[in-house]
Amino acid sequence: MNKTALKELLFKIADDQLILGHRNSEWTGLGPILEEDIAFSSMAQDKIGHSYAMYQILEELGEGDPDQVAFFRKAEEFHNSQLVELPIGEYSFSLIRHFLYDHSDFLRFDMLRNSSYELLAQVSSKIRSELKYHTMHARTWVKKLGTATDDSISRLQNDLDALMPYALGLFEKSPYEEEIISENIFGGEEELRSRWLELIAPIISKTELVLPDPEGVEPVMGGRIGKHTEYLQPLIDEMTEVMRIDPDAEW
Amino acid sequence: MDSLDPRIQRLDKSQDLPEKENLDQLETYEVFLQLKENKPYQHVGVVHASDEDLAFLFAKEQYSRRLTCTGLWVVRTSNVYVSLTTDNNENVYERFEDGKEGDISFEVFHLLKRGKQHVHAGTINSDDIKSAFGIAAREFGETTALNVWIARSADFLKSDPGDVDIWSTLPDKKFRDALAYKAGDKLKNFLEKNRS
Amino acid sequence: MYGGGTIFEKPENKDLVNEDPVKLQEFEDRIERGEKIEPSDWMPSLYRKQLIRMIEQHGHSEIIGALPEGTWITRAPGFRRKMALIAKVQDEVGHAQLLYSAAETLGKTREEMINDLLSGKSKYSNIFNYPAFTWADSCFISWLVDAGAIVNQLANARGSYGPYCRALDRICAEESFHLKYGHHCVIYMATGTDIQRKMMQEALNRWWKPMMHFFGPPDKMSVHTELLMKWKVKMATNDDMRNQFLDMYVPKILELGLEIPDPELRKDEETGKWHYGDPDWDEFYRVIRGDGPCNAERLEVRRIAEERGQWVREALKKAETAYVTPLA
Repeated sequence: MNKTALKELLFKIADDQLILGHRNSEWTGLGPILEEDIAFSSMAQDKIGHSYAMYQILEELGEGDPDQVAFFRKAEEFHNSQLVELPIGEYSFSLIRHFLYDHSDFLRFDMLRNSSYELLAQVSSKIRSELKYHTMHARTWVKKLGTATDDSISRLQNDLDALMPYALGLFEKSPYEEEIISENIFGGEEELRSRWLELIAPIISKTELVLPDPEGVEPVMGGRIGKHTEYLQPLIDEMTEVMRIDPDAEW
Repeated sequence: MDSLDPRIQRLDKSQDLPEKENLDQLETYEVFLQLKENKPYQHVGVVHASDEDLAFLFAKEQYSRRLTCTGLWVVRTSNVYVSLTTDNNENVYERFEDGKEGDISFEVFHLLKRGKQHVHAGTINSDDIKSAFGIAAREFGETTALNVWIARSADFLKSDPGDVDIWSTLPDKKFRDALAYKAGDKLKNFLEKNRS
Repeated sequence: MYGGGTIFEKPENKDLVNEDPVKLQEFEDRIERGEKIEPSDWMPSLYRKQLIRMIEQHGHSEIIGALPEGTWITRAPGFRRKMALIAKVQDEVGHAQLLYSAAETLGKTREEMINDLLSGKSKYSNIFNYPAFTWADSCFISWLVDAGAIVNQLANARGSYGPYCRALDRICAEESFHLKYGHHCVIYMATGTDIQRKMMQEALNRWWKPMMHFFGPPDKMSVHTELLMKWKVKMATNDDMRNQFLDMYVPKILELGLEIPDPELRKDEETGKWHYGDPDWDEFYRVIRGDGPCNAERLEVRRIAEERGQWVREALKKAETAYVTPLA
């Protein structure tokens, strides 16, 4: 098995989850309704947990301790998409990002259940079951707010328009795309992208929202090869502030 | 002083906030959980929501983010009919007049002791709510209960048996569990080092 | 997380003269027998009023209590601490939800309670008006503030009102995770590097005084609460709870080699009571009146959160919405 290709895949998944989990935890204690605060916090925990699971697999593959590997890097060494690093914005922004991201994440892990790399296939089954709730949550909210008031519909539409280019950037191809597919590690970004569009388009069409035509949108790429927005480095600095006080300490 | 929380520092605090508007209170939904296969559903509390779908989403994380869970029901509070509450040794079922069976399905919950939670007694069929209390007494009246709740089965949103896997990883989320935080060895080594 | 610092109004005799003496007697007999009061039972209006006040203050303390520890959510060190701290703060929000629901069964809506919090009409635990300067402060809160809360909440769980007791049973179960997690964090700090030990000692120095305040003023300075204790609304005196906390946790703090910043602190072995230096009760009352280091920030943040969430609530609202009091 092509280990380099496999690691590249794991790093990008893990970094997406870590950064989005971190972003979503910014709502903990500050959410729009107590119950939603709780639900969103659970999903933030899940995301960080999924990332941790990916980093534990990377440890098996010879990378070091997850806490060391994941946190002590510069922005250009992160493989996450730009979608997940953007600031949380208003709740509609965070919800639409959650909707776009989690449907792709669910499908990614649905596909990874069949990975030729057994350890990843096993873990993926579990992660998929948690993501089932995440997509249920995202879908219910988008249906609700996407059909409610003029205000809620226009907020969601603006955020959908703004985020679609970034969401398409999730499917930036790996330099090892062919190996990943031919070795049955993962079905590939192109397949994921088309399954994702098939899944979200009917949901959006049941609302007053309009899904931007993906062919007419220029995807924001680069995250997978370390090109990031101005928002990522400050996020990393904040996330590691305590660890950096004494990098050798156990916290 | 300025906030020490970077999340709060990022909030826009420049604008003058209007007085909080007195919004309408969202309705409440009563939540029932099944903790294990074949155990009766039990009442765990309420969530505030605008409909059953949202109530279900909220209830899942507020009431089943720990331990185990195999099923979740929600029903709007205003759809539940409630009996009076009797003293601890008086059976409330004896207060209900007998009723007629019928085609409408109802879920019956009863309270067995003050301070405990309502548990699902079973499902009955009747014509209307008044008769339903009577049928419930006929079916479950041998048990001494202090208070009975009845609601039409159709008013419940129940978890889909195919979605039970949304709870399947609960036992793995050990970071939410007291047992995961054992620092005994670290403490012991520290104390031994200090003694020597 | 909540202590014993509930501010009760002094019950007046006139509060009871309008009550039906037969019903009052039945009510008191039921409590005397150790049975719980359920929402549909008759209860004196003073009981209802004081319970709403207490449960509401408890709920506010949870939602405001999410803020000092929330200060460290985005900076928690490493995967496990990150997940655990989010879960812990999430639990506090969850506790607020449970407590508001319990208070709602007595006839006050959550919306009204939140309005009263934001307008300053209704109080919350003083300790959350202090800032969490470093990660060590958040460790202190998770361990010791939660430990204090458990002392109080375990006592209150034996109280007379069914819905409050049910909420507390669940809250206490979750707090046992907070306590162990917090102790774990403090052990790592106190047995760690010199920098970590110093951070932990400084946090302890900052938080000891508010921790003594947490259980409320000494009994000799408090409003008379005999009636509330007879009705099992208040279950233990402030001094009893503080004493129990000191009994349980002073040895655990000292074994970590930390110093408690109170030279007068000692246990009188004969009476079993702890003697402690004056933690400045004037400051306690000043902070309650709104003049603490973070009072303004805490309420402002809640106001912003409510304001930012308002469009969501508006969108969910339906024309035919008819709120009824939750059942239990």
